[in-house]
Amino acid sequence: MIDVSNVRAGYGDGADILNGISLHAAGGEIVTILGPNGCGKSTLLKCIAGFLAPRAGTVAIDGEDVGAVPVHRKVRGYGVGFVPQTDNVFATLSVSENIRLGARHLPRAEREGRFDALMRQYPTLAAKQNRKASALSGGERQILSLVRALIAGPKILLLDEPSAGLSPLMMHEVFDAIAGIRDDTGMCIVMVEQNAFEALGIADRAYVLTLGTVAMEGRARDLLADPSMRELYLGGSVAG
Amino acid sequence: MVQFFSDVLIRTVDLALIAVGLSCVYSLIRFPNIALVQYAVAGSFLALLLQGAGLPLPVAGLLACLLVGGLAVLLNVTVFERLLASGSAIAMVGSLAVTMILSAVFLVVFGPDSRRFDLDSHPVIRVLDARLTVHQLTAVGLTAGAVIVLALLLFRTTLGRSMRATATNRVLAAATGIDARLITNTVVFLSGVLAALGGIGLALKGEMNIQLGMDVLLPVFAAAILGGLGNALGAVAGAVIIATAETLVTNVNLGPLVGEPLLFLPASYATAMSFLILVAALLVRPHGLFVNEVKRV
Repeated sequence: MIDVSNVRAGYGDGADILNGISLHAAGGEIVTILGPNGCGKSTLLKCIAGFLAPRAGTVAIDGEDVGAVPVHRKVRGYGVGFVPQTDNVFATLSVSENIRLGARHLPRAEREGRFDALMRQYPTLAAKQNRKASALSGGERQILSLVRALIAGPKILLLDEPSAGLSPLMMHEVFDAIAGIRDDTGMCIVMVEQNAFEALGIADRAYVLTLGTVAMEGRARDLLADPSMRELYLGGSVAG
Repeated sequence: MVQFFSDVLIRTVDLALIAVGLSCVYSLIRFPNIALVQYAVAGSFLALLLQGAGLPLPVAGLLACLLVGGLAVLLNVTVFERLLASGSAIAMVGSLAVTMILSAVFLVVFGPDSRRFDLDSHPVIRVLDARLTVHQLTAVGLTAGAVIVLALLLFRTTLGRSMRATATNRVLAAATGIDARLITNTVVFLSGVLAALGGIGLALKGEMNIQLGMDVLLPVFAAAILGGLGNALGAVAGAVIIATAETLVTNVNLGPLVGEPLLFLPASYATAMSFLILVAALLVRPHGLFVNEVKRV
């Protein structure tokens, strides 16, 4: 579904942040991208989403090179949903307005049908649908952001650190929701995370980046058992 | 007292639509576009030209508004978008330059003389103690109608929600599938239309000349800033406050304070008063009075 091949990318006239990264993600799986701060995780996700065009290499969706397609066209034309790390709700709009915006290109009846279904699925949001999004807690905002992406019926979901700033309890709730989305919809989910072990707990496969390159990749359960992962996330290196 | 309120209303109408346009466009491109006051001049003179070409004034006014909206988009795409790449301060200076260029063009094309629309004369209407002309009431109606339509657009339509979303968070709007550039230019178009309609309203109540825009520049900015730049409906409230201050200054008899039967301040003090209020308000609420109370566009 998503094929990233030898991508180099960076911001403005600056040096490359991504130095020839390749990645594959298929439908029905959660692929998590891990790594220390500054390794290029979010940059890679922005490249896939369309916020940043690759300087070299290709980003393909279902075999079509979409590296130069901007994010707003990817959302509508290629079924991509993107959930940013921070500022992930429209704070001045109500919860229901936030959600409906995600499906504003759909016919009204279809939009309202999906809205009602999602409200049944996420009763916490349903209870607060007329409140401003700014009144929600961090976890509720993250769920709202997910729901806004889901209402469009994406086939690919890109999540940038969905657990950022959440309490452990809320983090589990958000990860459970993400795993549920994969199980219920067969969606392709690519998730950048700092909480490596929590992310590996729900992911099918993972890529570990260092300095803009893929240092490790494999099945999530294998990486969880890999001692070098513990070294990396307890301050060691990935050497060897 | 009724006359006082009607004077406030009429002055509010002078400022409101241009201030709303300024605020709308600021909410998306984050710089106060000074050239907006010249769009008001362009609107009034284009309507005059089109009326002179034989069109009824309502049709001429509508066409003029659409043309000025188009001019606003053209200038945004060719000038302001590029200047904004260097920062909002550069774009603001650029908008001042565009204002001066448009002023020179208007002088060449329309000349320095004041003009009037070709309007039927009507007797003055008395509303309680206030005396109002039909053309003043028309301008009030146009302004009220435009503000209501804008509010409905913003809060009751998908386009309006997209506009508010883009103003709130441009990156997230793009991630939600909204073409932020298209939305921005739609708002720029609307701001041009609103400014042109404001200019036509000003000209309806009296004369138009190429100074019309510069005459309202400072109070329009005061109203928009007071309402919380970027807050379209706040700009209307800002216009009411500025209009009240200006009307108070020129209508209150200060004679008893100095032992004279009558003493009124010259009209030129009105702008100073509005800025006194603006400075005082901003010392208390630096982001404007209504930045939290009324939704941003």
